[in-house]
This record gives sequence, structure tokens and C-alpha cells, in this order.
Amino acid sequence: MSFRNSITIVASPRPRVGKTLLARLLTDFHSQEGRAVAAFDLNSGEHTLAQFLPERAARATIRDISGQMALFDRLVTDEDTTKVIDLGHESFESFFTVAHQIGFVEEARRHSLAVAILFMATPDQLSVEAYRNLRVRLAQATLAPVHNELLGPAQHRDKYLLGGGSVIVHLPVLAPGLRKHIDTPPFSFANLNMGSAIGIPLDGHIEVQRWLRRVYLEFRELDLRLLLADLQSSIRIRSQST
Amino acid sequence: MARPAVILVGADKGGVGKTTVARTLIDYFGAHQTPTRAFDTESPRGTLKRFHPELTEVVDVTSVSDQMKIFDTLGSAEAKVTVIDVRAGLLSSTLQALSDIGFLESAKKGQITFAVFHILGPSIASLEEIAETARTVGDANYFLVKNFINNTTFFEWDPATYNSYFKKIKGAEEITIPKLNEMAYEQVEVASVPFVSFVGNKGTKGEAANYSFVLRGYVRHWLGNVWGEFDRVKLVDMVSPKMESNVRQVAG
Repeated sequence: MSFRNSITIVASPRPRVGKTLLARLLTDFHSQEGRAVAAFDLNSGEHTLAQFLPERAARATIRDISGQMALFDRLVTDEDTTKVIDLGHESFESFFTVAHQIGFVEEARRHSLAVAILFMATPDQLSVEAYRNLRVRLAQATLAPVHNELLGPAQHRDKYLLGGGSVIVHLPVLAPGLRKHIDTPPFSFANLNMGSAIGIPLDGHIEVQRWLRRVYLEFRELDLRLLLADLQSSIRIRSQST
Repeated sequence: MARPAVILVGADKGGVGKTTVARTLIDYFGAHQTPTRAFDTESPRGTLKRFHPELTEVVDVTSVSDQMKIFDTLGSAEAKVTVIDVRAGLLSSTLQALSDIGFLESAKKGQITFAVFHILGPSIASLEEIAETARTVGDANYFLVKNFINNTTFFEWDPATYNSYFKKIKGAEEITIPKLNEMAYEQVEVASVPFVSFVGNKGTKGEAANYSFVLRGYVRHWLGNVWGEFDRVKLVDMVSPKMESNVRQVAG
């Protein structure tokens, strides 16, 4: 299992740590890799994923049962589409509670879908505890901490117990002057290639592309890790059965 | 031969979820490979029969011929466990009938395992009923079931009163059926299948069905909790004492 059939959840119990940016990048990454992608926006308010990517991202809710059915039933069917979830901080707890109760990760695996959680690793106690909690509750999902370099140098590696060769995913910083160009919805990074990024000066455009390449490189590495983790577990299963 | 077990599921009020509890019991024994049959006393058309048509027979417990159908076959039936869903209001009279035919006597002697699942209603009247039923039940395994499945305005009773009643009954055990999401419950109703089939995404004839994964997940989680309660009171050990105990009997 790799990105080709995966469900990636971008999550943090805290607001304003870069979840939506990461979810946007990931959705565009999949599109540029030629995959069908559907994104789910579990945020309220302004500047959400659905506003940035109106064609590929839809608003979702888990507040009531019909919302939960619309979301989770869709996630585990339609195996040929890669899914990205931008999990707003206010839905963090309820999302994982429901996911745990209904056996979401197990069901996804039955449909050959790998579940990965990109967790925004911040040094606060709330996040660290939520992360440890997730490792237990959703043990079958691949849990990858993400360091948003915009939030300062990583000084909390040891708080996120990194076992079994797992590595932190880095979200590099985009030069401050360029952020305003990518922060007005709707905006897709996939369109940048086509030169339709009006208003970005040429050198800025090159800089954004360079940044994008670094981000996509991180995603490709993550993809390989997912693949590797899956190979390892299938080898383990096979050696157990013999 | 293992001794037969009879489980009465009853309440003096309707609409407290007797049949739901009976269904979870049938599923539970099914999961433990314990052959089970069921009698539905809501004649002529029983709800239990709709969910478990193969195992269930609709009977009238007040008629002698149907009593014979149930109790005279205990030893010969293939099923080791007999679950009887007693219609609202008939629990006391059924117990009376059991006492009259000497069934309670055989249960006392240990020839038959006998258990009563008394589903509690929301009103205080049920408390009086507990005391009364408990007297008739005698030495049976007596379970008081608080059914929260539909989360009715339940147990507004003051706990002190409840406990004073509860403690009076020797050996009574309490079972709690947790709440199940309304929509999930409703969908199982519509599907008319056992809870286990719903979880397994199967239709009435075992064919593949297309239930919502979320609703299946909720039912699985809920059923797991209910079975956890049955495990806690050691229901399986009760109806089919393990080999070890036989061995111990021989050795002792």
C-alpha cells in the first residue's frame, strides 16, 4: 500500500499550526502525480481547504450521524481515489473517537487502503499527549509527525517518541514575502506550472517552485516509508503463518 | 449429557426492549458456538421471529400444549440453550406456570440451568415488581437489566431506593445495556437481520448487503459492550459448565 490508495489525515488538536497548508500541498501533490484525489474539509470559518480547492475539496462534518456516514462511508469506498482530510482542531477529538469506535482503520485495510496521519508536532503538552494517545488508539495507522519549520526550530524530537525508523516530515518555510501570493483562496499549486500565477514576480515564482519541490520530496519519502511499512508488515504476517 | 439451560427474558411493561436483549443473547450464544433455540410469546406475530426466523418459534406460554412444546423438549432438543422472550405483562404468570409444573423445582435440584433476565422499566413501579418477581424466581440466576439502548427518560429513580431493593435480592446481578445510536438501531430494524449479520454486512439469507460502514461500526462497538456485560456475569460458563468442572467432579 502506498499513496496510490491511501487516506491521509492532517491533524493537530491545536489551531493555526499549518494543517490546511499541508493538506493543500498534499492534495495538489497527488493531482500532479496524476492521481484522482478527493479532499475533505473538517474546518469551520474562513480560509479553509474547501475554499482554496473548491473543485477537489468538499466540506464535511462529523457532528451528527448523517455527516459521519457521508464522510466515513465515502472514505472506505471508491478505492481508486486518494483521499486527504484536513481535520480542524475542533473536530480532532470527535473524529478519532468515532474512527476508533467504528473500526475505521481496520475497515480501510480490508479495502486495501492505508491510513496515514500527518500529525503537526508542536512542543505543547496537549499535542504531545494527543499524539501518544493516537499511537495507542489507532495503532494500525501510520503515524508521522510533521515539523512545520515556520514554527521555529525543532526542539521537541524526544517528546515524539520516534520508534521503528520513523522520521519527522519537514514542512519547509516559504520566504515571507511570497506567502501573500499563495494565501488567497481559491489557489492551487498545481496551476503554478501553467504560468497562471498572476502577480508573482518571476524570481518569486522560481522560489515558490523550489519550495514546492522540497515539499514534494518530503511527500515522496513519506510515500516510500508507507510502502516499506506495508512490506514489513506483510513479511511479518507471512513469516508468522509459516 | 450437558444439562439444558432456559433463559427467560421478560418485563411487566412493554417497550422496554425485551426483544432487543433476547436478540443480543441469541447472537452471543451463536458467537460461542452454543446451539440455541428461541421462543417468542408475542403470538401470533413475533418480533423476535422476524430477526431470527430459523431459531425462533412463536408460542403462547399460557397454553398447555405450547408449554409442552417448550419444556418437554428441553432434554431432547439439539439446542442446549432455550431463550424465551416473554411478552409484556406475562413474566409473573409465566413464572407461576413454571412453578406449577415443577420446573422451578428441577432448576433448584440442578437438573436445569435457569436464568431470568428482568428488563427494568423507567417507572418506580418496576421496583415493586423486582421484589415480587425475585420471590417467585427463587434460586434462579436473576439478572436485572438496565436497558439504555433507546436512552429513554430512564432511571430517574433515586439511587438509594433502587439500591435498597437491589440489595434485598440475594444473588441478583445487574447488567447494563448501553445506548446505541438511533439511526444504527433503526437500520438494523429495517434490515430485519441479527445484529451479527448487520455487523458482517450480510442480508437475511447471508447474502452480501450494503449497510453503512459507520452504522455497522456503531453496532459492532455497541454489541461488543453488551457482550462484555454477558462475559462479566460469566453467562457462557453458566449455561455450559466447562470440561474442567466435570473433571473436578470425577476427581472429587
